[in-house]
Amino acid sequence: MTEEAQKTLVGSNLEHVLQNGTFAVTGELGPPQSADGNVIREKLNLLKSYVDAVNITDNQTAIVRMSSIGAGTILVEEGMEPVIQMTCRDRNRLAIQSDLLGAYALGMRNVLCLSGDHQDFGNHPTAKNVFDIDSIQMVKMVADMRDKGLFQCGDEFKGQKPCFLIGAAAAPFADPIKFRPYRLGKKVNAGADFIQTQLVYDIEAFEEYMDKVRELGLHEQTSILAGVGPLKSPGMARYMKKNVPGILVPDKIIDRMSEAGKPWSDIKKEDRTKEDKKARSQAWRKEGIQICVDLIKELQKIEGVAGVHIMAIEWEEAVKPIVEGAGLHPRPEMKTPVL
Amino acid sequence: MTENQTPSTEYQIVAYCCEHCAYAAADLAGSLRMQYPPEVKVVEVPCTGKLDPLMVLHALEDGADGIMAAG
Amino acid sequence: MIVAEQKPLEEIKELVGEAQKVLVVGCGTCVTVCFAGGDREAQILASSLRMSSKLDDHPQDVTDLTVQRQCEWEYLDPIGEDIQKSDIVVSLGCGIGVQAIAERFPETWVVPGLNTTFLGLPTEQGVWSERCAACGDCLLGLTGGICPIARCSKSLLNGPCGGSEEGHCEIDPDTDCAWQLIYDRLDSLGKLEMLMKLQPPKNWSTSRDGGPRKIIREDLQLAEEETTN
Repeated sequence: MTEEAQKTLVGSNLEHVLQNGTFAVTGELGPPQSADGNVIREKLNLLKSYVDAVNITDNQTAIVRMSSIGAGTILVEEGMEPVIQMTCRDRNRLAIQSDLLGAYALGMRNVLCLSGDHQDFGNHPTAKNVFDIDSIQMVKMVADMRDKGLFQCGDEFKGQKPCFLIGAAAAPFADPIKFRPYRLGKKVNAGADFIQTQLVYDIEAFEEYMDKVRELGLHEQTSILAGVGPLKSPGMARYMKKNVPGILVPDKIIDRMSEAGKPWSDIKKEDRTKEDKKARSQAWRKEGIQICVDLIKELQKIEGVAGVHIMAIEWEEAVKPIVEGAGLHPRPEMKTPVL
Repeated sequence: MTENQTPSTEYQIVAYCCEHCAYAAADLAGSLRMQYPPEVKVVEVPCTGKLDPLMVLHALEDGADGIMAAG
Repeated sequence: MIVAEQKPLEEIKELVGEAQKVLVVGCGTCVTVCFAGGDREAQILASSLRMSSKLDDHPQDVTDLTVQRQCEWEYLDPIGEDIQKSDIVVSLGCGIGVQAIAERFPETWVVPGLNTTFLGLPTEQGVWSERCAACGDCLLGLTGGICPIARCSKSLLNGPCGGSEEGHCEIDPDTDCAWQLIYDRLDSLGKLEMLMKLQPPKNWSTSRDGGPRKIIREDLQLAEEETTN
């Protein structure tokens, strides 16, 4: 698909920012485990004017939450642009297509196609999963709906096509690591307009990945948004390093976090007061934000990185200082799609 | 089946004994006229490794109170 | 082979209930070699049920029999009389065996003694692993002989997902990442370029999703006059 075609087809703010060559900033919002729309509105206020679009997670970590399209509707009402996350875990090809038709009609213009965390991780581990199609097939399906006016079965559309800016995820450091740039290539060939990566803490490793991505010319065919997220504590950094597949956390970052809390960590555990712990936590968080800012500055220097995707779930307050600290504020004026 | 037998006041034990050691020892004890309770029923097996759960179950079903594997 | 595991004794007892004459039927094929429902297991279960019922003050008459294959009526017919004389049959066959008995002996109440778990193979002594999902449209030719439908937790056709780490799946460190296995195998055979092709959505209609399946081979079917003989 040509850029020209995209321009006329989608008209989302994120697309606008990316096409102008502005370093894009997307955020993330996890809907509540309830039917309370005000939670969305409150979180949204912390992100508004600091990001170009907000990902709405789709039952993240396989825990039931308000639907991404439901929450996305609230964003649209509030004048904010959602990126609807859509997983293959909970829906077959019929449901994905019909949900996307509805999402488009409700004013949503960006979709992120994911396979989805296995239900084993979540609060309904006895559920039956779907996985009718995979994330790459979903990208192709959504692209064919938009560009060819075809349902997945090959039937032609009558009437309005759902024209989405199509996103996909990339895990640059998951195994087999050599295959990762090529798998990204498959997503791009399938029609991914933008990519949001797993959290990047190891700039050197990411640079190596991007070297290969550029060698394959993928950065010219898609917009790559590097995933970043503020650390809350050295423990969180160590946990992610050890337990989360596809996340590399270099020791120097863990050391920076530990160092920030040192004045309080040095106090004997039995003498450490509540206030000390609070002060240490604040110092850690401050350093976590600073590390995030520093990472963004490094990422901006890497050719082929079109923006960052800030994942500060349940800590949306951190987005403001991160975006300001990285010199990415103010954001370009929000261009809302014509409904 | 036990209901057809005179109830024993003592525990009935089936001892599965390996022919190479425990059974030979029981044999020797016999020739030395050493006494052991009549409730212990010695069953010679080629090896206690041959002791199958079924042999244990059958003994228990037939009224044994306990099983001894000696080898 | 079909791999199965025996249900807990308590559950089998509950299924058997108050029935007086109980027949445990083992199967001499798949479930024998996976030590779940062969002759030996049938005898052990029968003995356990006898003792357990006695302890419960409700002694049941439990006997056992094992046929070579429960999934073919020809093997069930010779024990038809034993089956019909029983109040209940506990089948230690796979789910097919249970249904074969139910179908052949409509008057007899039959319950399963096993949980049929998967189609797989023993990978080492005492360990069985799933290998096939019987999807009806084999794609092993595309993946170096390793099935992503049965062995990838998400049945991805364009894997691996981002949860692959050091060769194992994110759901469980004891589960291999099928796509890592596929990658390694194609790599060692010099066929990695096969992974670059985008695999289209699978046609699941050949799988269970298309409804219960049946194969009719007219070349093997008997003519009508032959079947009536």
